[in-house]
Amino acid sequence: MKRLRVDRWTGQLLVASSSRPATPGVAAALRSRRCLSTTTTTRHQSAVAAEAVAPIYENAENVAPSDLRFPPLDKTLPANASSLPSPLPERALHSPKLAALHARLTLSPKIPLQTLARALVDASADPNPQFNNSNLAFVGQTLINYHASEWFMMHYPRLPMEVLYAAMKGLGGDPSLNKVAMSWGIEAAAAPGGEVDPGLLQFSLESTGDSILGFGYKRSEVNKLQNSKWRRGVASRVVLDNDFGEIVSRNFGVKHDGEEAEPTEKDITSYGNAVKRAISQKAHANCMRAVVGAVYTHCGRDAVKSFIKAHVLSRTIDLSKLFEFKHPTLELAMLCSREEFEPPVARLLSETGRLSRTPVFVVGIYSGKDKLGEGSGASLEQARWKASMNALKAWYLYSPGEDVRMPSDMLEEDAKPWEPAYIDIGEIISR
Amino acid sequence: MAIKALQTISTGRNGVGAFILQCKRIDIHFCDWAGSSKGMNGFIKSLLPKFAAAHPQIEFVVSPRPSKHPVAIGHYINGREKAICVRNMEPYQILKKLELLRDASGEKLKVTKPVQSINESVRGIWSPYHGNGMKV
Repeated sequence: MKRLRVDRWTGQLLVASSSRPATPGVAAALRSRRCLSTTTTTRHQSAVAAEAVAPIYENAENVAPSDLRFPPLDKTLPANASSLPSPLPERALHSPKLAALHARLTLSPKIPLQTLARALVDASADPNPQFNNSNLAFVGQTLINYHASEWFMMHYPRLPMEVLYAAMKGLGGDPSLNKVAMSWGIEAAAAPGGEVDPGLLQFSLESTGDSILGFGYKRSEVNKLQNSKWRRGVASRVVLDNDFGEIVSRNFGVKHDGEEAEPTEKDITSYGNAVKRAISQKAHANCMRAVVGAVYTHCGRDAVKSFIKAHVLSRTIDLSKLFEFKHPTLELAMLCSREEFEPPVARLLSETGRLSRTPVFVVGIYSGKDKLGEGSGASLEQARWKASMNALKAWYLYSPGEDVRMPSDMLEEDAKPWEPAYIDIGEIISR
Repeated sequence: MAIKALQTISTGRNGVGAFILQCKRIDIHFCDWAGSSKGMNGFIKSLLPKFAAAHPQIEFVVSPRPSKHPVAIGHYINGREKAICVRNMEPYQILKKLELLRDASGEKLKVTKPVQSINESVRGIWSPYHGNGMKV
């Protein structure tokens, strides 16, 4: 006699409450089937809520006999995992990759693995802000930019605003933080999903997600600024634009007339096209920011300060290579008149091979008896320009010293009274 | 008219600020049957639990590879990997090899070159155009 198959039964039989099932096995199968079919993708971030509705795991009862021979490697993988946009928070406790990352960064045991797992889920993978890293990344970005700007302002009080923006981006922008995340050994999953190992960074190359990151206002003339290259003054950049003085625009990798930016042939390399590389860079940077946010959330202000110092502020950036002068001699003359120095004079210090193919002139810029700068070049004019640029850089890169106090040092307990920091009157020629 | 800014990316050096161990994963392959895996099987039973517990920053993956020599493969942050065949080795010899994998940076082995630094020279570069010069 053929056995009855539960899944072939009609709805009538399933709905009818049979007081006495034919065999106990059938009843058990029926119960487990109903459980499976009514399972919704309910997820909870807190451990308390998770106890109320536990997800159904594939145990021996509801696994087909053929699957028992090859049991799933990850025993914590729930049956409905692939329908979820990101892995369940409780799976974080069973991921060796995640535990290794936690130990590699020497994070405090106060930071739970679940939070670290959440920091690895980008907004493009899971749009739900309770499960992605956008909130943590926002906190992290605010802290990184605060400490970076404070560091630059205290160490180089005369930096022009544009150079300060470039320096901020060089240290705390997406490309730099992407490198930090890479140096932590964060690996990306091929595609996001609930079945992915929680120790992998999850982001989608198709959709970009809309995490709000950073301050700033969207300008009404944003299209004109980008397409027609309208001028933007520094003062308006301070007020309206983001922390790096860039236009705030929600369209990422998408042109402003709505259509998606087509990658040109030049952009496509073996590493994908420029848009996809930028998406990946942004996801890695946001993940790094989210880890900083997690450190702040669980360990507090002092811990996050030392974490940022160790991972971001310790990186090297050569500020003297960020300057691009247009009229260095004129600017130096204006500086001297503003500061009431004697007007600058260029003097030839030494030369060789004036009539040869490769002459070298060394020119010094003097204000009275003080030498402001020196430069060498293949022509007298070039040497003079270089000398004035060096003199201007020496002015702008003035530093009161390495051990200058930061405003955030005042937040510590028993901090000494604050001594006013050096504040410069501003750039020589401002836009 | 005014100064414009050029964009650069900061460079980090491992150990300045924070140190990150470069070995992120070690795969360990063994065979239950073959004689060349005898030492490896002993290592997995006796020494590996302690070694793995002492290095939480490394992910250890132990998997059988029937009818093959035992191998330990280190995976590094720079994306490279380093594989060492540990056939016929004693457990303590294998431990030495794992320590080698742990301490490696993952870079290709190179002939020793002078230290390259991104710091500016303290003394500066010698210039023929400065100073009093020398009469020949």
